[in-house]
Amino acid sequence: MYGGGNTFEATKFDNLAKEDPIKLDEFEARIAGGEKIEPADWMPVLYRKQLIRMIEQHAHSEIIGALPEGTWITRAPGFKRKLALMAKVQDEVGHAQLLYSAAETLGKSREDMMQDLINGRSKYSNIFNYPALTWADSTIISWLVDAGAIVNQLANSKGSYGPYCRALERICVEESFHLKYGHHAVIHLATGSKIQRQMVQEALNRWWPPMMHFFGPPDRISVHTEVLMKWKVKMATNDECRQQFLDMYVPKIWELRLSVPDPNLQKNEETRQWEYTEPDWEEFKRVINGDGPCNKERLAVRRMAEERGRWVRKALLTPDAKYVTPLA
Amino acid sequence: MALDSLDPRIKRCNLQEQRTKDFNSQPLDQLPTYEVFIQLKETKAFEHAGIVHAATPDMAFLFAKEQFSRRYTCTGMWVVPSDRVWVTAFSDLEENIYDQIDEMPAQEAGPEEDYEVFHLIQRGKQHQHVGRVTANSHLQALQKAKVRFNAGKPILNVWLIKINDLQTTNLEDHVIWSTLHEKTHRDVISYRAGDKLKQFKEKQQPDG
Repeated sequence: MYGGGNTFEATKFDNLAKEDPIKLDEFEARIAGGEKIEPADWMPVLYRKQLIRMIEQHAHSEIIGALPEGTWITRAPGFKRKLALMAKVQDEVGHAQLLYSAAETLGKSREDMMQDLINGRSKYSNIFNYPALTWADSTIISWLVDAGAIVNQLANSKGSYGPYCRALERICVEESFHLKYGHHAVIHLATGSKIQRQMVQEALNRWWPPMMHFFGPPDRISVHTEVLMKWKVKMATNDECRQQFLDMYVPKIWELRLSVPDPNLQKNEETRQWEYTEPDWEEFKRVINGDGPCNKERLAVRRMAEERGRWVRKALLTPDAKYVTPLA
Repeated sequence: MALDSLDPRIKRCNLQEQRTKDFNSQPLDQLPTYEVFIQLKETKAFEHAGIVHAATPDMAFLFAKEQFSRRYTCTGMWVVPSDRVWVTAFSDLEENIYDQIDEMPAQEAGPEEDYEVFHLIQRGKQHQHVGRVTANSHLQALQKAKVRFNAGKPILNVWLIKINDLQTTNLEDHVIWSTLHEKTHRDVISYRAGDKLKQFKEKQQPDG
């Protein structure tokens, strides 16, 4: 599970005055009462647009996120690790399928989503624009990036859109083994030889800054954010997610006698908040806009897969095939 | 310029850097969709699981098996093209959709056919199979379903599928799920590392 649905800029704030006030009231009452919204229900234009964007980007993150770890399948240390990593990568691709389907119920076809991904019009989680240089990098991804994603996704699974929540629930269940596998693999390295410890420490140093970027810049509190929170599209602020992640995983890193590459990282016992060096948000912006170490490769690989498979899909297509928006 | 990659499999593809934004998808390039229903145990009803994109029912079945039943026991699976599912409107919370049959437009009678009936009883949950009726139209199937299956909680939404449109598993197909219990590498329990961690921590604090 790779999150980051919250880390992207919001859709332009549409004027809600254009919406039918009676329907809007009913819609908001339904959400306030804890009910889910289903594809056939009336919904404000902004709700639909924002959800398509979020779910689509989440799906892209899963399918692109399979690439840095997939790099290590052929060279995993031993059969057990290879089996586990293969199963994990398969899960991530499956999660992309579930999420694309949830987005499709809102009326955007999978063709359009693929096109927007490959042409760079639609983003994915920025962390996958960095390379997995060693096996230890792949174990850090499995452990910490998945951990970060779980924080994000557990929050979102309590949201208001039925198909997205159902996809996330399924994803969270499948995900449980990734985190355990990742932790197991990191413990193995961290309790191993000097060289193994060094390897995992260096990987942690490389992945810490993108991990701090992972939850996105601090939210600007705007009317827009308030509306999305009221509609249960956005379930927690970026900073809340980041704090929760630090709370759960920094102690686990420290107990392995690994260090976090941030001398200012500490928990303020009075405020019960973690204090840290503010990540470099200029770098975040630069990379998300295309200038990261792996952006070009990630999109080129996706494009190759789509283009080389196209004739097969075309040959299989029956003349009576017809596209309808899937049901739920 | 060819892209360099850490992945030897990608490096061998000799990919060129993409300089244009000219990728175009054709309609149906990602194939049409099929709705998938899963039965987790023999004693349980089939339940809607989600969709797959596929060219044929056989292909949909293979993808659905990977997508929805690679982790847990499964005793049956149905797939149907999305456009072959007949769907009622959604009723409001306290209302029963079966109470609105009289307001639905009349349908021409066709040949008698069997229909599988699915109910949604809670928003946010998925449709469950409740049984089968024989009828000469969707509306008649709905009327018969009202008599046979309408009991208890209000039904929010009904799906009807002609059984000829459903691709189903039979008993011999169950062998495809028989290796599931051997695949423990997907279980959390296979990754216990508590002892190792404890030993490590003890070694770090020899006097503690």
